[in-house]
Amino acid sequence: MIARYSRPISKTHPWRFAMTMLAASSALVALFAMNDSRAQADSSSDLIKQLQGLKTSDADNQAAARAIKSLSGASDVSLLQALAAMKNATPIGRNWLMGLAGTLYRKAGANQTAELKNFLADTTQDAEARYLVFQWLSTGNDAMRKDLLSKMTQDPSPELRFAAIEDALKSPPESGKLAELLDAARHPEQVVSIIEKLKEKGTTIDQAKQFGFLMNWKLIGPFDNVGTVNFDKVFPVETDWIAGTVKSEYPGKSGSVKWKEETTSSPEGAVDLAEIFSNEKGCIVYAATEFESDRDTTAEVRLGCINGNKVWVNGKLVLSNEVYHTNMQIDQYNETIQLKKGKNQILVKISQNEQKEQWAQRFAFQLRISDSTGKAILAKGR
Amino acid sequence: MKINFRTRSAIAHIALGLSAVVSSSLAHADWPQFRGPNASSVATDAKLPTKFNGESKENVAWQTKLPGRSVGGVIVVGDQVITTSSSGMDQRRLHLISVDEKSGSIRWQQELVARGRPFCHPTSANAAPTPASDGKYVYAFYSSNDLACVDLEGNLVWYRSLSTDFPKAGNDVGMSSSPVVVDGVCVVQVECQGDSFAAGLSAVDGTILWKMDRPKLANWASPVVVKLASGEQAVVMQSSQDLVAVAPKSGKPIWKMDVKCSTIPSAMSAESRLFVPAAGLTVFDLSSAGSEPSKLWDNNKLGSNACSPLVVGNRVYTISRTVLAAGDLFSGELKWQTRLTDAKSIWSSPVVAGNTLYIFTEEGKCLVVKLGEEQGEILEINDLSESVLGSPAISGNALYVRSVSSLWKITDK
Repeated sequence: MIARYSRPISKTHPWRFAMTMLAASSALVALFAMNDSRAQADSSSDLIKQLQGLKTSDADNQAAARAIKSLSGASDVSLLQALAAMKNATPIGRNWLMGLAGTLYRKAGANQTAELKNFLADTTQDAEARYLVFQWLSTGNDAMRKDLLSKMTQDPSPELRFAAIEDALKSPPESGKLAELLDAARHPEQVVSIIEKLKEKGTTIDQAKQFGFLMNWKLIGPFDNVGTVNFDKVFPVETDWIAGTVKSEYPGKSGSVKWKEETTSSPEGAVDLAEIFSNEKGCIVYAATEFESDRDTTAEVRLGCINGNKVWVNGKLVLSNEVYHTNMQIDQYNETIQLKKGKNQILVKISQNEQKEQWAQRFAFQLRISDSTGKAILAKGR
Repeated sequence: MKINFRTRSAIAHIALGLSAVVSSSLAHADWPQFRGPNASSVATDAKLPTKFNGESKENVAWQTKLPGRSVGGVIVVGDQVITTSSSGMDQRRLHLISVDEKSGSIRWQQELVARGRPFCHPTSANAAPTPASDGKYVYAFYSSNDLACVDLEGNLVWYRSLSTDFPKAGNDVGMSSSPVVVDGVCVVQVECQGDSFAAGLSAVDGTILWKMDRPKLANWASPVVVKLASGEQAVVMQSSQDLVAVAPKSGKPIWKMDVKCSTIPSAMSAESRLFVPAAGLTVFDLSSAGSEPSKLWDNNKLGSNACSPLVVGNRVYTISRTVLAAGDLFSGELKWQTRLTDAKSIWSSPVVAGNTLYIFTEEGKCLVVKLGEEQGEILEINDLSESVLGSPAISGNALYVRSVSSLWKITDK
């Protein structure tokens, strides 16, 4: 046998050589395919886990680029698997998985309408994945869009709820329906829009209360911010307030300054510091208030501010944005906080710069407390 | 013969890299970035209709309604017309859409969710930057600083949330700087009051190859690729504080000048000159090697408030509010200017086919102007009936226009 196989190739019959090579290459192909298939079967779930856990770094990005390439061509990854994986993924990971889902949908999504409808109906699935599926199902199909949205004004997905309320508002609803929609609405634009529609029908809603804006503040300032250099300077009022040893008077930008009470009547809860502090520029003002909670709870502080700002809740810094005159809107800056039962101390630092343009004169903020969906949490007794 | 994942990925990675390296596959008719080839805004050989109408569909080959809204421009890669949109609550949904050049039907869409701040002025959109392509891949950037690369079938190749990398990057008025792709590097300019920077990312996998701090001031201008006297390419970036040229692969500054540039219209290069919206218009000489280019001329009568300048023949053209001005390319002398009647607000950088200028307005009008050495003549004022804020694209004898909610093909029918 050894001698036979040791013969020079040139001495074998050509057909036998060809057959041998064919058999050998077939075996190799089969071996490769088996191993490749096993590698894919072994690795696809790992690769999906890899995408789910992505944060942001060059190494993560390189690994993710390799993973999505592999998963896009894998035979053992389904569209529904990619969508379901978004549930336990980081925000970055969800976008990678959304990219994978997009590829798989283009390949075979049109044949999976029933499965996708079931996925959309499953409110335990990832909210962003469900909205993606909703778009696939409803684009170019107005009847389906309307039918799906008609059941979604209370959907846990903020985007689906937003779309459902938007759709419901297209035809003028009755007052009763509007009241239901107001209860369901979370997005500030929709809340304001519904309140306006209710007003047209003779029902007046306290908008500031609906949002839960904090209306009563103690203000102190102005402190020096000439050159816009003191955003991070710790003025004594800041440390004293956090320590609970606040004084009634402090040295300010041009002499001593005292606390003053301010109650805003703005429906947007806006505190107009430009008016209160005579359009002072290059300055800092502190605003303090108490929020009495009836329980220990997780909540969100939601700030709108067109100036540099910092917010402390019970002595903990929760927001810091050194940005001037780009915009001011409800829920512009949001952060999760822990409210304790009883009185919670809130301090806001607002920094005005010295821009001279007409559009850069505003000096104002608005602040509210809500749950994670944006529904107002009202102070005890309000 | 076990080929493990790492090996297979490496092979795929190398293949992807090679394909990016050899991606000089841009076709002659491609319009691969904001303002087209070389960011010139000019298609010399194109023949476009001067008359068209959005309502009657005169010379409109197709109009395709798209999801959400966009104020970005259009690119053309082969037979695909590619644009972005942002939709849904707070415009958090980011769309990258390819439309078939012939039929106007949507060929593919890829969707992501904004991880940065999606807020912007009501007239703007999260989809404000124009995408870019190297002929193999498409790079889409959004105001929320989400950057995605897809292949020409829409499959996600890589994604990067630059607002996650740099959390204070953003501007609630909206960002609009468009990316450029050069030498296998995708360059973005993210200038704002928070984390203000420019970065070069690997076109292959989104790795940040370099990052440079930029002035902490809002800026909406786009980087531009220029050819230096050495034959090498450089990325030029402008701001209200400086004008800087960097090497695409390393981000290493080649030169930097204290020039107070405009922050909305972008610079462009033609005839070995760099035309910068600064002190009206300032022109630098790129033909001589040296540490920095010398200034040839400036003219404050050739200023731009939003539209980028462009060059046709011996003239450089600028638009200030609703006045079109023509300057001499060599001396900077103002040669003529004309008021653009019927135009109220112009944000879209205009484009030229042959010697005919197409200026789209926010009100949805298109002013067609015949350009001449000594005067300009308004040939037609067309009504598209949809607001246009992004710059159009020209490919072959067709004009592709992104209005806020539609994509249009305009060609002689």
